[in-house]
Amino acid sequence: MRPAILAILIGLLAAVAPVAGGATQRASVSVVADLIERAAPGDEIRVPPGVYEGNLVISKPIVLDGNGAAVFDGLGKATVIEVIADGVTIRGCTIRGSGEDVTGEPSAIRVTAANATIDSNTIEDALFGIDLQEAPNAVIRNNTITSKDLDAGRRGDGIRLWWSHGCTVEGNTIRGSRDMVFWYSEDLRITRNTVADSRYGLHFMYSHNTVLEGNDLYDNSVGIYLMYSNGITLRGNRMRNNRGASGYGIGLKDCDDITITGNALLANRVGVYLDNSPSSIGSTGLFESNMIAFNEVGLLATPNTHDNVFTRNAFIENEQPAATHGRGRLVSNTFARDGAGNYWSDYAGFDLDGDGFGDVAYEPRSLFGAMLANEPNLRLFVHSPAQQAIEFTARALPELRPEPTLVDSSPLALPPTIELAIVDSGIGGARMGVLAVALLSAAFGLVAAMGSDRRLTAQHTGGGA
Amino acid sequence: MTTLAATAELNSIESSALARSFTGGMISFARREFRDAIASKWFVLYTLAFTVLAVGVSFLSLSGVGSQGFAGFGRTAAGLLNLIMLVVPLMALTAGAGSIAGERERGTLLYLLAQPVSRTQVLLGKYLGLAGTLVCSLCIGFGVSAGVLAWKAGGVGVGAYAMLVAFTVLLALAMLSVGMLISVVSRKTTVATGLALFIWLSLVFVSDLGLMASSILFKLRVQEVFGLALLNPLQAFKMAVIVNMNASLDVLGPVGAYASLTFGGSLAWILASTLVLWMVVPLGLATLLFARRGTV
Amino acid sequence: MIHATNITKRFGRVRAVSNVSFEIEPGEALALWGSNGAGKTTLIRCLLGVIRFRGRASLGGTDVRRRGRNARALAGYVPQELAFHDDARLGSAMVFFASLRCVSRARAAETLDTVGLTGHERKRVRDLSGGMKQRLALAIALLSDPPLIILDEPTSNLDAAGRGEVVEMLQRLRRAGKTLLFASHRPDEVISLADRVLILEGGKIQRDTTPLDLWPTEKPVQVVRLYLTMASEEHAAQVLREAGHAVHLNGQGLCVAVPRDRKAEPIHALAMQQIEVRDIEVLDDVPAPGEKL
Repeated sequence: MRPAILAILIGLLAAVAPVAGGATQRASVSVVADLIERAAPGDEIRVPPGVYEGNLVISKPIVLDGNGAAVFDGLGKATVIEVIADGVTIRGCTIRGSGEDVTGEPSAIRVTAANATIDSNTIEDALFGIDLQEAPNAVIRNNTITSKDLDAGRRGDGIRLWWSHGCTVEGNTIRGSRDMVFWYSEDLRITRNTVADSRYGLHFMYSHNTVLEGNDLYDNSVGIYLMYSNGITLRGNRMRNNRGASGYGIGLKDCDDITITGNALLANRVGVYLDNSPSSIGSTGLFESNMIAFNEVGLLATPNTHDNVFTRNAFIENEQPAATHGRGRLVSNTFARDGAGNYWSDYAGFDLDGDGFGDVAYEPRSLFGAMLANEPNLRLFVHSPAQQAIEFTARALPELRPEPTLVDSSPLALPPTIELAIVDSGIGGARMGVLAVALLSAAFGLVAAMGSDRRLTAQHTGGGA
Repeated sequence: MTTLAATAELNSIESSALARSFTGGMISFARREFRDAIASKWFVLYTLAFTVLAVGVSFLSLSGVGSQGFAGFGRTAAGLLNLIMLVVPLMALTAGAGSIAGERERGTLLYLLAQPVSRTQVLLGKYLGLAGTLVCSLCIGFGVSAGVLAWKAGGVGVGAYAMLVAFTVLLALAMLSVGMLISVVSRKTTVATGLALFIWLSLVFVSDLGLMASSILFKLRVQEVFGLALLNPLQAFKMAVIVNMNASLDVLGPVGAYASLTFGGSLAWILASTLVLWMVVPLGLATLLFARRGTV
Repeated sequence: MIHATNITKRFGRVRAVSNVSFEIEPGEALALWGSNGAGKTTLIRCLLGVIRFRGRASLGGTDVRRRGRNARALAGYVPQELAFHDDARLGSAMVFFASLRCVSRARAAETLDTVGLTGHERKRVRDLSGGMKQRLALAIALLSDPPLIILDEPTSNLDAAGRGEVVEMLQRLRRAGKTLLFASHRPDEVISLADRVLILEGGKIQRDTTPLDLWPTEKPVQVVRLYLTMASEEHAAQVLREAGHAVHLNGQGLCVAVPRDRKAEPIHALAMQQIEVRDIEVLDDVPAPGEKL
């Protein structure tokens, strides 16, 4: 440990002595500002435990280490910590209490310089969490962020990058925020983040050439929404239960050259939403080995969508496997590449020759689905026997059958094994087990209570009433 | 103390000559009905069918997704919903329809009514007994499929599943009420069963298809479609379950969105009350008609 | 014990029971006498409050329409044939009716013993013989030891031995002071059980009389079945009733109860009206009133 740090610590102790006494000790943030003032560039400042009130500007390349016990409280005014120098590290701090008025976009941390590291901080009650403005090559890692208790639309973004290329965003957890959003930022590394209870889990605007890997996005309005962004690879992410107004697991709007592999899209309103993607001639969208399961609609596309390739994906138990927004079909896309199609759990064909592929093409022709495209009000009748009756009628009367939404010429006979990066271990199966046992005991309890046939003859020997 | 004992003795002498209390007699009938029903073929058959189908739905909908099965709870529930709407009304309607009409046809009703019981007691007792039977049957089916969910999907949606069970019980009780009403007005078992099947078909298929057709033909507005759909207890049941699972009816398209937007938090209550009405009104009507009936 | 005033029951246009009024004192045994369709069964159902009717009826002072449950608690009812769930076991049936009548299982077992059915608890109702069924019905009727027993042709489906058993049990009940109301078309039963006879025809009370008055002889009575050549049996029955005979019409000829030494009297009475008798048949011997079975 360098002597300078020791000196700073002693000085700091002297400065806070009149109010010292515990971890929750309150002090003005000027105490920390003084420490920074006195520190040399590159110094590591160990902030003593306590609550530091006010707004801080860091204009010197230093390391600010709160060691998990330093709290910066903006008292509801403006941005709490503003970093204007290159190469600043903020670590182990709790930052809270930014302003609430959206003008000026108050944040917990705003960085407007390069090479910042924001590591293992806890951010709460801040309109925006971490805001990078023209702050290239930053590392944002292992932070936990929640926004203010407002409607999702009025919150700020948990993490926002604006014109910040080459940044790494990994292992952050965002809950109850707006988006984790990337504007005009390229060559990013976005891995293992969790975004839940927010608006868009990951949101790309005009941000190109990036890999998103192993992110877990659930209970948001939309899992990942890419807009006007090209050359993006999504690998091993999980989008689950994103069921807001749009409710897409992955939404693509005007995006070229997208590769989506090994992702899990589970129980979203729409698994994959394609809006005019790819948009440029000659570019493609590749969907390979994804698990698209339990969504209301597995794949939803605007009618003009073309040149996407789907291969070895598992479409399992989606209410509608594939549909178009309004009229139209998906036939301008490819559902089998090199003789390998996708697995469709509603495929009614068979694989007699045992080559792993169904012998007849998968051609979903849902009459009810076709009716829904024209009469959206009829969606009221999904999950009802009447819907089944309509589908049954369509099967029985071929002249009623609509054109197939898509054609997969060699559907997989069995669901492909898809190794998913994110696996929850043992989600409380015991509780459901308890319910199962409770229900069964209720049944047998009823039988015991109501049905016990106490015999008359017992009275002869036993007597009594 | 002596006075108390004497009074008690007096009471016991009197009550031996008097009829049993209203509830007591009703419970006697309920137990009798329950015992007869669970020993009967229809109970075993329905329970078996429901259990096998429920387990099948749970199992199939969760296969192929490995450890991600927990995410499939919603879809499994939707599959169960379909099954429930098909099987449970059939079960409850036919059970109810057979009850009074069957006794009447076998001539046993007269003998029962000659006992110190009231007609209301007989009807409500039978209703309770059959309700117990249905609950028992549903608990077995749901219990076993909950076991499958616990195994394949973990504990996701325990609360929602419990609510699904609760609403299904409500639906069964409502349909049983309708069945009892059918039974009271029918002279013969065959007529009652036919009527029950007709009503089942109407509720399950005809009314929905009719509403779909009129929605298209007459360009019904969302509030009209919602209002008309609410008249069908099966739709009310479905919407109630979905509201409880998703906190909104958006999944049901514009009509659902309208309902969620208009009624908000009270929607679940409106739907539940609709089912309760379907339970109380037909049963009340059945009681009234049965009590006023001139013959057996 | 029973108070009936102007009981009228219509089924559609048919008046099954028309303006019937009568009373039964406690301890009295009253027989309803009349042919099939005379309204006996309907009247009994009215008295039990099982069907709706016009007029008033009360059992032990309790109105059967307004407080039917309490009124029926005073009466045990034995139908023509016990109709209960065929699959039910005798024991569980007893337990059920015991719970309805609020009596203990011990009492139920005891009652079963008095009708001699102990040991048959595991038998199903459908497997019981006619006699056993009636004894079970009697046991159920006697469960709460009610002061009134109402029986609707309790022996009509039984053979001679079964009839004997039932009649004997009823005689015991009568001696024990129970009030009995029973429908019958067997003179022997009426003579051996009833203090009074109400003769019902066409839903109306024709006569309120006594067995002795009906069969006014110490001599044993026999039932003679008359087969007529052409004439209407209704008319013939009318003629015979006017001549003071007890007549029963059951579709297979006319049954007339006559003193043993005056069997030709009804034939003669009919001959006076130009009604020709084709054949006669003398049925079982019937003991004289008061005589032990």
